[in-house]
Amino acid sequence: MMRGNPLLLKEFRQRMRTRRAPLVIMSYFISMALLTFLLLYENVQGQLTLLLPARGEQVFVTLGLLQMAVVVFLTPAFAAGAVSGERERRTLSVLLTTPLSPFTILMGKVLSSSALLLLLVIVTLPLYSLVFLFGAAVPQELLGVFGFQLVTVVLVAAMSVCWSTLALRSGWSTVLSYATVTWMVVITGLFGYGLQYAATRFPIDYFLLNWGEILLRLNPLWIEAGLAGAVPGNFGQDMFWFLGFYGVITVILWIFSVGRLRPQAYAFSSRLRRGDEKDFE
Amino acid sequence: MVQTQNLTKKYGRTVAVNRLNLTVRQGSVFGLIGENGAGKTTTLSMLATLTVPSFGRAFVNGFEVCKHPHDVRMSIGYMPDSFGVYDDLTVTEYLYFYAECYGVKGALAKRRSADLLEWVDLQDQRGTYVNALSRGMQQRLELARCLMHDPQVLILDEPASGLDPRSRIELRRVLRRLRELGKTMIISSHILNELSEVSDEIGMMRGGELSAVAAVEALKDQIGAYRRLWVQATAKPELWQTVLAAEPQVLDYTLRLQGVELVFSGVLEEQAELLKRLIQAGIPVIHFGEQPTDIESLFLRLTERGRVTHDAR
Repeated sequence: MMRGNPLLLKEFRQRMRTRRAPLVIMSYFISMALLTFLLLYENVQGQLTLLLPARGEQVFVTLGLLQMAVVVFLTPAFAAGAVSGERERRTLSVLLTTPLSPFTILMGKVLSSSALLLLLVIVTLPLYSLVFLFGAAVPQELLGVFGFQLVTVVLVAAMSVCWSTLALRSGWSTVLSYATVTWMVVITGLFGYGLQYAATRFPIDYFLLNWGEILLRLNPLWIEAGLAGAVPGNFGQDMFWFLGFYGVITVILWIFSVGRLRPQAYAFSSRLRRGDEKDFE
Repeated sequence: MVQTQNLTKKYGRTVAVNRLNLTVRQGSVFGLIGENGAGKTTTLSMLATLTVPSFGRAFVNGFEVCKHPHDVRMSIGYMPDSFGVYDDLTVTEYLYFYAECYGVKGALAKRRSADLLEWVDLQDQRGTYVNALSRGMQQRLELARCLMHDPQVLILDEPASGLDPRSRIELRRVLRRLRELGKTMIISSHILNELSEVSDEIGMMRGGELSAVAAVEALKDQIGAYRRLWVQATAKPELWQTVLAAEPQVLDYTLRLQGVELVFSGVLEEQAELLKRLIQAGIPVIHFGEQPTDIESLFLRLTERGRVTHDAR
């Protein structure tokens, strides 16, 4: 991948060379380690003689959800300035006169900005192995939770990079990226859970239950909780809905982003290439 | 090598470039001069495939910019008017990155970067971080970056802007060497003297249009044929106008508080005759002398009067 994408190699060099990268990883790992030990101490102490997997499961779910929330909210911080930052640093015009395709540019930005987050997720694997020791999860659940976290990070990074390409300023792209993440985590969670709660009080109102389910299917924390076995439901189907919905949004944003980077790509449509391309360069 | 046909760019109601017809021959250096907002950057931006023309066509190295942008990008080295550099990359890494973007890899990239760094006199800065270089050094590094894939055409937008006099001299030296290498170049600037030292032809842009094109050699010849004279004398404007209008060799004049500045096309003897006639007309001449003519004022004057230059092609 890196051999075929010089931008990715360059971004890795730049990002990993700063003090920020090891500092973020170290701080995150220490925080997660402290939290894991605290949760284990509170929930599974004394289990050397009497094993209670349900309590270990609580630790696993809490850690998984917390990690998902943290990485999802951290991703825009690394991705929202990916392209608009190039424009602000006045390096974009030169990059655009190279023969790199818009796909290569966008993919390089997505992977490089999500790399640190993926690293954050991976460094916590040893902590999960501790939880694993107490019978809190089966390997399939662990793989499902981790895989879903990695996919969600890449998805959020892709949407943030697209916002960064479409918005002229990093400030705006950050606002749009965080609005997206807020929708994904907070709005769908609050409304989805709220509607479901209302449905339990008014069981005849099918509308509430249906919309509650639809909204929760779009919430990464809900899917994650399902994958960890904390809530009942068909999470294979829910994950399909989640990936399908945000996948379609990402593809739409991606198409517009390509037009933004290379107006010639849609030369057949003057409407698409119209606008403030002068400002963009 | 570079050709535009009625190239036009509109932003809403604003016409940034209007029906530009330009031809730059292979191996020649074309200087584009004009004030800020004249349309120079937009023109170069269209040639560099960054901006899509609203109308008309442009060809670079035989490829049309809208239909074959990839081929155009492979053919050009573009340096924008204001550029930034990547932080946390060394000079060599910076060049390698752009080389890889153009598919120049391995030993070839290594050899080319070493040659180019020596060429732009940055061989001692190989391991230095790019953002730690001075502006002049960054400018030269940008030129090296433009050449990493050995393009046929160089598009340089205000390459000397923001440079101190020493760095400008260094840059001119590099540009002259590029010219000797036979690279086709389009260079924009708002300082004509700067362009005249490296260009074969100069085109002036005004309000998005190419108002005049002149060969630098022809301009330099004209410098010998035209003289700028300064006549210090206090006389009424009407008297000046009457006397100077009758002089066919006075091409242009500007009345000042303490005299008149004029462009004279005659030889030294005719210059003496002019002085004689001024005195005979009752103008109390205090000083009568020649002033050095620079290419900039000559170009401006001649393009205004439509002499020596020919229309934009």
